This record gives sequence, structure tokens and C-alpha cells, in this order.
Amino acid sequence: MFMSKLKEALICLKAGRVTAAFPLGPEPHPPGDWYRGKIAVDVEKCIGCGGCANVCPARLIEITDDGPQRIIEYFLKRCTYCGRCAEVCPEDAIAMTREYQLATNLNDDLYIRTELYMGPCGRCGRCFKPASPLDKMMVTGFRNQSEGK
Amino acid sequence: MQTWRIREPVMWLCEEITGNRKTYGMNLIGGVRRDITAAQKPKILEVVDRIEKEWLKVIDAIQGDTPLMMRLEGVGVLSHADAVDYCVTGPTARGSGVAIDSRVDHPYCAYDYLVPEKKVQKGCDNLARTLVRLEETLESIRLVRQGVQELPDGSIMANIPEEIPPGKEGVRVVEAPRGESVHYVLTGENNRPYRWKVRAPSYMNLASVPAMIMGQELADVPISIASYDPCFSCTERLEVVDRKRGAIRIYTNEELTELSREKTINRK
Ligand code: SF4
Ligand code: SF4
Repeated sequence: MFMSKLKEALICLKAGRVTAAFPLGPEPHPPGDWYRGKIAVDVEKCIGCGGCANVCPARLIEITDDGPQRIIEYFLKRCTYCGRCAEVCPEDAIAMTREYQLATNLNDDLYIRTELYMGPCGRCGRCFKPASPLDKMMVTGFRNQSEGK
Repeated sequence: MQTWRIREPVMWLCEEITGNRKTYGMNLIGGVRRDITAAQKPKILEVVDRIEKEWLKVIDAIQGDTPLMMRLEGVGVLSHADAVDYCVTGPTARGSGVAIDSRVDHPYCAYDYLVPEKKVQKGCDNLARTLVRLEETLESIRLVRQGVQELPDGSIMANIPEEIPPGKEGVRVVEAPRGESVHYVLTGENNRPYRWKVRAPSYMNLASVPAMIMGQELADVPISIASYDPCFSCTERLEVVDRKRGAIRIYTNEELTELSREKTINRK
């Protein structure tokens, strides 16, 4: 029995002090570029296709159309950080950042809202993103992105 | 606590391979999302070698730990008959001499190539279940090593051009660390599931606890429950109901620890 206690003590002693004083001290294991943290949306690149909302397993991306304005809301408190939205986005408008310290008791901290001006089609009335560079210049003023409300 | 330290490099590896420590999000219909790169292979093997060495040391150290053995041996007995009746799975079943392991019995994925050895103990007590887990860790290390070394090259994702037809059913049992995890799916419209049902192994294992702790001292209850490795880590209290008088007493974490401590001292 004493032998085993000795062996156990040796294992502990050899390991030394393991717990790190995080978040007061340095990060013990900073995430690499493989990491999937909080998503970042680049409204400049987004074309409002809705692909991200379609694949999100947590169903947290909501799209509403208000006339020619397409509003995309990301309720990230439900996010599982799977990265599917970033994977399917045809314009690479969504990126997975390395941000992982996301504990909060405010829903608004985990909320992204983007607004996009879409040109409605003259025939069917459905929205589409104006394609020409000229159009793009005209609508930049409508673009708006906010993190938190 | 040392076992947690030994495990930590595995979590880091998982993060590097999949992108997250726990919610891997690796599987899609048709394959997996990320490949294991050539640079990761030696890393995996190195970590596996290291934890194997450390694990062997831990096993060696605790085998002679009489107080620990006294708390495990003959405590929380789940007889072979009870184990069959309660349909327990995984290490809980294998600790009671029921030789089931869905990786061997119904091989799926790569388990035709990586054949695990069933680790069965006949002790039926906490010690038996602990031994099963100790040995299975080594077995898992062996499987990881073999898997990494023999991993074939090639595509990691199948091309599925058509939508999945609605109204189709699928059911599959996979061997999770705690036993058989069963998933059932009924497909729906628009390439989405209509119904998804999961039956986790702890569902049956939990039901066997009354048989396990029947006639035991209160101090042995926490360790017996922990022996099937349930996931209710936040529950550190115990409610005891006196059925004759209807009185309820709640034991806090401190009281339970004290009870266990007394028991360890008395047994010496
Ligand atoms: S990371 Fe996954 S869960 Fe989070 S928003 Fe993207 S698709 Fe949805
Ligand atoms: S973020 Fe990407 S996927 Fe989502 S609507 Fe914009 S362009 Fe489409």
C-alpha cells in the first residue's frame, strides 16, 4: 500500500503545477488557425443569398425582407460553432474567428445584424442583389452592420 | 485529477483535427469535413505514446492502493442476471461479464479493419467496471495507433448529387464510451430530417442503479453511481426519502464527502 501511495505521489510531483491562472495569466493553449470560434460577418461581401441560413443546423440565422431591404440576423447564443455557414457561403462573407471567450449574460453580446439593399425584380418582385458596379456604388449607403443592438 | 491532466493533450489534438475541443461537427452525410494531414499523424502518435506511458504508470500505482480497492471491491454489485435484465451496455455490462460491444458485434465504419478486443470482467462490482475502463483505455490507444498508421489516402467526402428521399428510416447503434448509443432518423421533405431520436447508453445504465446500490451504505452510493460514468456532474447532493415517515433529507456535497471519508478510514 505504501508503495502505491509513493508511486501516486511521484506521478503528482513529476507533473508539478498544472493549473494555469487563466484568464488572469497567459493563455495556456492559444487556438490555432484550425479553430472555429465566433463567426464574423463581412457585410461588404454578403450577397444575401441565404445559403448560411439554409444550412445552419442550429437555425439561428433569420432572414426578413423589408421592401428592398434584406435583414439578416444572427442569434449567436445558439451557435454550435460548427462552421457550416462559413463553408457554404459563396462569397466567403462569413469567417470563423479564434474568439472563444464568449461567456456572457447579455443576449445582445451574441447578436449580429446585417442589412442589405437588394434590387427587387420587376417581374416577380423578389429581391436580388444588384450586380453592376454602378449599382453597387449607389447602394453602399444602405449597408449597415451592427454587433449587439 | 492526474487522469484529467493526462487526457488534456488528447483534447488539444481533437481541437487541432476537428476545430473544436468537444463539439467536433465532423460528420456530414457522405463523409467527414476535415482530413488528418500528414503533419498531424506523427503528432497523434507522439501524444498517444506519451499518454500510454503515463496511463500505465497510473494503473501500476493504483493497483496496490488498498483503501481505493476496499472502496471498489464488492461494492455496487450488479449481477450478471441483473445486467442482462436491465439491458445495461458498454463497460457497465462488460464489468458484469456480459460480453457485448457493438464495434465487434455489429461492425460499422472502419471497425472491420480495426477490431477491438472485448474487455470483460466477471467481478460485477465497481472494481470490475473500473478495470474494464482501465484496460479499454489501453485498447483505444492501440486502435488509434493502428488507425493512424494504416489510414488510407483518398477522398473524405462522397458526392451525393440527389436529395435524400422523404419518409425513409434509418437506425444505427454505435459504441460510445459509456455503451451503445442508438440513433434513429426519419427523413422528411427538403433534404431535412423529419424526426430524430437518440437513445444514449446512460438511459439503461441509470436504470440499473437501484439494483446496484440495494442494501448498501449511503457512503457507497456516490461511488457506485459514478462507476457507470453518468453525465450529471453538476449534481453533488443526494436526497434521501424515508418511505415510512415520508421524511426527506438532503445530503450536501460536503456531507457526502465526509461520509465517504469516514468509510475509507473505518475500512482500514
Ligand atoms: S457556426 Fe454553425 S451554428 Fe453557428 S451560425 Fe454558423 S452554421 Fe449556424
Ligand atoms: S453570408 Fe454568405 S451565405 Fe449568408 S446570405 Fe450572405 S452571401 Fe449568402
